[in-house]
Amino acid sequence: MAGRYKNRTCRAVMVLAALGVGAAFFFILNICIGSVRITLPELTGQEGGETVRKILWDIRLPRAAAVLILGGALSLAGYLLQTFFNNPIAGPFVLGISSGAKMAVALVMVFLMGKGIRVSSAAMILAAFFGAMLSMGFVLLMSRKINNMSMLVVSGVMIGYICSAITELVVTFAEDADIVNLHNWSRGSFSGMTWENVEVMAAVVSVTSLAVFLMSKPLAAYQLGDAYAKNVGVNIQLLRVGIVVFSSILSACIVAFAGPISFVGIAAPHLVKKLLRTAEPILMVPACFLGGSVFCLFCDLLAKTMLAPTELSISTVTAIFGAPVVLWVMVKRRKGSHV
Amino acid sequence: MYEYYFMTKKMCVGYDRKPLIKEMEIALPKGEILSLIGPNGAGKSTVLKSIAGQLQLVGGSAYLGDEELGEMKPSELAQKMSVVLTQKVRAELKNCRDVVATGRYPYTGWFGILSKEDERIVDEVMELTHTAGIREQEFDKISDGQKQRVMLARAICQEPEIVVLDEPTSYLDIRYKLDFLSILEELREQKGLTVIMSLHELDLAKIVSDKILCLKGEYVERYGTPEEVFEPDFMERLFGLKEGGFLKNKKFSAYIRQICAQP
Repeated sequence: MAGRYKNRTCRAVMVLAALGVGAAFFFILNICIGSVRITLPELTGQEGGETVRKILWDIRLPRAAAVLILGGALSLAGYLLQTFFNNPIAGPFVLGISSGAKMAVALVMVFLMGKGIRVSSAAMILAAFFGAMLSMGFVLLMSRKINNMSMLVVSGVMIGYICSAITELVVTFAEDADIVNLHNWSRGSFSGMTWENVEVMAAVVSVTSLAVFLMSKPLAAYQLGDAYAKNVGVNIQLLRVGIVVFSSILSACIVAFAGPISFVGIAAPHLVKKLLRTAEPILMVPACFLGGSVFCLFCDLLAKTMLAPTELSISTVTAIFGAPVVLWVMVKRRKGSHV
Repeated sequence: MYEYYFMTKKMCVGYDRKPLIKEMEIALPKGEILSLIGPNGAGKSTVLKSIAGQLQLVGGSAYLGDEELGEMKPSELAQKMSVVLTQKVRAELKNCRDVVATGRYPYTGWFGILSKEDERIVDEVMELTHTAGIREQEFDKISDGQKQRVMLARAICQEPEIVVLDEPTSYLDIRYKLDFLSILEELREQKGLTVIMSLHELDLAKIVSDKILCLKGEYVERYGTPEEVFEPDFMERLFGLKEGGFLKNKKFSAYIRQICAQP
């Protein structure tokens, strides 16, 4: 008996440690590899000049930090949505929440840029949050009418198309100078991160993630189903509001800074769950965050280097590695389940 | 001390504020077993869900001891009442012991980590419910009958004063039906557990229940001891057996009479 618990705890600790090491490893690779290669001595400041320092400090480090933070946030948002809808292929991208946020940000950006006003990070997040909540509202409305989980995903995809169409429309009418910026961003990219961006996202994501971690216990009860969660004293309404708001904040933060990024929200939590062999939120929440970070750091590395000097959009890479995982999840689902 | 542990006053239950069954008056002393019987669709599950706080009462009130159910804090109610419902349980990657352990939720701390005492209770309850043998098995892969017993274990693990069970014996074979009911009787004797459940097996309802509530139509058809309820004419009426024409068959009418026979 005691052995069994030791085993489980052991496994959890090992997985978390491995993910932590993985994140550190890819973080270092990400700041070393690029159009200019930086060696280890240069990294530690023993060699190299002002240029190297500038590249490191102004470009590589904020970008890698952003990937670390946003990747984790994306994975966590996916996990929350999967728990909420009891659907293994739910995620901010699939349910159209990212697209809603994208639409809101595009509208605000084009409107404010047209008037010559610079858009601050906080304003972007706020706009994205409203967009995300708007989409989420639609999805929730649909989920009341539709009990079938795969149809829910289809309706989410439709919402995503509508929002993307509106975004395209707005971008078409934007000023020439803005289009380049908007276009890059609307396809999903981690490039051009500043320290100011990183500070804002770090603050928002860390507070939200901590709040999610503190919800581990009611989330665990919620996994059993509404009725049993209620029976053990969970305030279901409050928990639902919490899940919706926190997943929207996380999704909004990602979209505001990096644009919509596909499949990470589904693939990362699923792979992490396979590693942990448990669905206990108290372990899944931190593991999902780290897993998402590792996944995104890996994908961003490829996006930067695969066709260098041309940079791929991050969604291109995440789709290559994430979409097969989604297919795998659907095939592996046992009979009698919802999807 | 209050005379009755569980009581309802003019309780109306239903969905969307539309009453399905009206003005129910139930009074159940501590440590008694109440069975709900009635034809399919009579609203047994609705009554049980309402009592368990899963559905809002459409009217009237229900009391646990001297407290009104609707006014109790969820966490407080969770330490007094547990349920076994017909709803499917989602238990991804959980073994049977994990599922049983979720019953300790109302007693654990902020992060829900089990203490040594919690672990002890979980193991003890699994022994009691004869589920210790399948403790390591994945919940999603065991049979419906085994699941039912694990869910009873979960409910007992919650250390309730009252349990609400919706058709708890449906998937069980005769041995485990008797096992299940004897566990309830044992807990009633030892801990004064009060039980409210719906049963389809009339013969079992008759021998284990202290009170029986018969549901059909808008009002409670009859409420009383098994002796008061089990009359052949009444049973035939309750389940609409005459209209069904089943009683023309001698074997069937003898069967009904046999169920209703007083010892």
